[in-house]
Amino acid sequence: MIQMSTETLTAGRRRRAPLWGGRFQELGMLLPSLALIAAFLLLPFLSSFRIALTNERLIPRPVPARFVGLDNFQKVLTDHDFWQALWNVARFTVMVLPVQCGFALAIALLLNQKLPFRNFFRGLFFLPAITSMVVVCVIWATLFQYPTGPFNQIVGFLSFGMVQPIDWLGDPAWSMPAIVLLSAWQAYGFQMIVYLAGLQGISDSLYEAASLDGANRWQKFWHVTMPSLRQTHVFVLIITTIQAFKLFTQVNILTQGGPRGTTETVVHYMFSAGFVNQRLGLASAVAIILFFIVLAVSLVQRLVVRDRK
Amino acid sequence: MTVISEPLAAPRRASSEPRDIGGIIKLVAVSLIALVIVSPLIVLVVGSLKADRFQILADMGTFRAFWVDNPTLQNFRDMWVFSGALPFGRYLLNSLVILFVTVIGGVFLNSMAAFVLAWGRLPGRAVILAALVALYIVPQESIVLPLLTIINRIGLSDSFAAQILPFMASPLYIFLIYQFFIQIPRDIYDAATVDGAGPFRIYWSVFLPISLPVLATVAILLGIETWNQYLWPLMVTQTDYARPISVGIASFFGTGTIYWNNAMAASVMMMIPVLIFYLAFQRWFVSSFISSAVKG
Repeated sequence: MIQMSTETLTAGRRRRAPLWGGRFQELGMLLPSLALIAAFLLLPFLSSFRIALTNERLIPRPVPARFVGLDNFQKVLTDHDFWQALWNVARFTVMVLPVQCGFALAIALLLNQKLPFRNFFRGLFFLPAITSMVVVCVIWATLFQYPTGPFNQIVGFLSFGMVQPIDWLGDPAWSMPAIVLLSAWQAYGFQMIVYLAGLQGISDSLYEAASLDGANRWQKFWHVTMPSLRQTHVFVLIITTIQAFKLFTQVNILTQGGPRGTTETVVHYMFSAGFVNQRLGLASAVAIILFFIVLAVSLVQRLVVRDRK
Repeated sequence: MTVISEPLAAPRRASSEPRDIGGIIKLVAVSLIALVIVSPLIVLVVGSLKADRFQILADMGTFRAFWVDNPTLQNFRDMWVFSGALPFGRYLLNSLVILFVTVIGGVFLNSMAAFVLAWGRLPGRAVILAALVALYIVPQESIVLPLLTIINRIGLSDSFAAQILPFMASPLYIFLIYQFFIQIPRDIYDAATVDGAGPFRIYWSVFLPISLPVLATVAILLGIETWNQYLWPLMVTQTDYARPISVGIASFFGTGTIYWNNAMAASVMMMIPVLIFYLAFQRWFVSSFISSAVKG
């Protein structure tokens, strides 16, 4: 190296300089993102585990927060309201899955055929999916109006006036189905395009082979389409379940968890405990439980998908 | 264009065949279903043109919900009246500021990080990538309360920064762009290094221009996510200063009387920016959602 002529030395340096300068540049390009993620995602995530073990309040009191062990978890897990919230979220999931995914699949099947203006219709059917949930709440609150809203008019018309108007969002029996209906309307578009992508991935030769075997449309649907969509079904199921556990906006706006706790959800319970009642420790325990539920559901997906491969 | 003209021509060609009747029935059926699905949005737009909130409710159970006798823009004018009523014009501008800064900043920050992770020479890139993938599973809902204490402690509560900084960089979007970058042939990177370009130059003038599809995907997904934020701004904004329109509209509820005329006009205003982007980039919207699904 030392014996090299000055010419090659400078050449070598010139080639090496961008390498080292390059590393600093790389660091400069990577650090902003990493710093933001560390400060606003990793740090709050880790500190939720610490806070959950204390009786910390949202607005600090003169008395410092103290370590309370697993008290918060015990309080949450013995709270009837929390179990009701979990039960409600499970009810929501069981109701929304068939409605939302069934409708999404039906529309996807319609749009997957030869149809004039197909792209136009796809765009139209996707409109609710780009509508903000807050806006959806404004619209559907008027649709659910008691006693003269359109839903009550339709029910009255179909039953020839036999069925009395229903207070959809205020009746404990109907509050959750009402939330399910508006959530399904808002979100089915996403499942619809996922199913459309899945349907387009099915090879035509499968259908041709089924035709040669004399299968009718119905048989083709059950024996070719549905099995081929297995991956899509699993994906849609998991995503919808995870979203159901995060249910918050529509409940917070329209029912505040009521009537009589019938639409209380896990996230709304956490929000009430931590933000409204300032009990940060308790709310962090709920947040951690929520995290592990979401993690478990995702792991189930990984297992099922790997099983398939 | 070819996509639209092809199915258009099909029925004309086969007009004498009996199958064509089936095609028409199918078209009518799809149109009817689409009309039912979209009708809540039509009702919203029509309602926003009625000045009287009692009229809106009275019409709602009848077909008059789809019709307005004396359309007025009064509700939209009300949004900019700052006395007494909620300052919706301000909320809308706040939302737009938060949207643009988050999306533009997010696209650059995430793609820069993704470039270094995919093509850089820094040690430990694999570890960082694995950590990001692991963090991606953490739901926003389960970190918002500790995040609120952090934001309060560093004095950012009730600010724009509190609604922008935490969401610009995201493990999901870094990973999406990373997956696109690693598929770019090595030759392209090598050719740029031989020319003596540093990493930022290569990223800026070689990788960014050929990565528009994935950048658009990230912009659309991050944009929709930012526009629809509700739980976080509900907690972090205490005054009108940085309050976004989502929280503004929600504040109609919970009060005794709901001014449906104003709420509907504000809702229409909240939809318009999304609709403009949707009409302009419809195909990209759909493919964005699909790619978020495949990766999710």
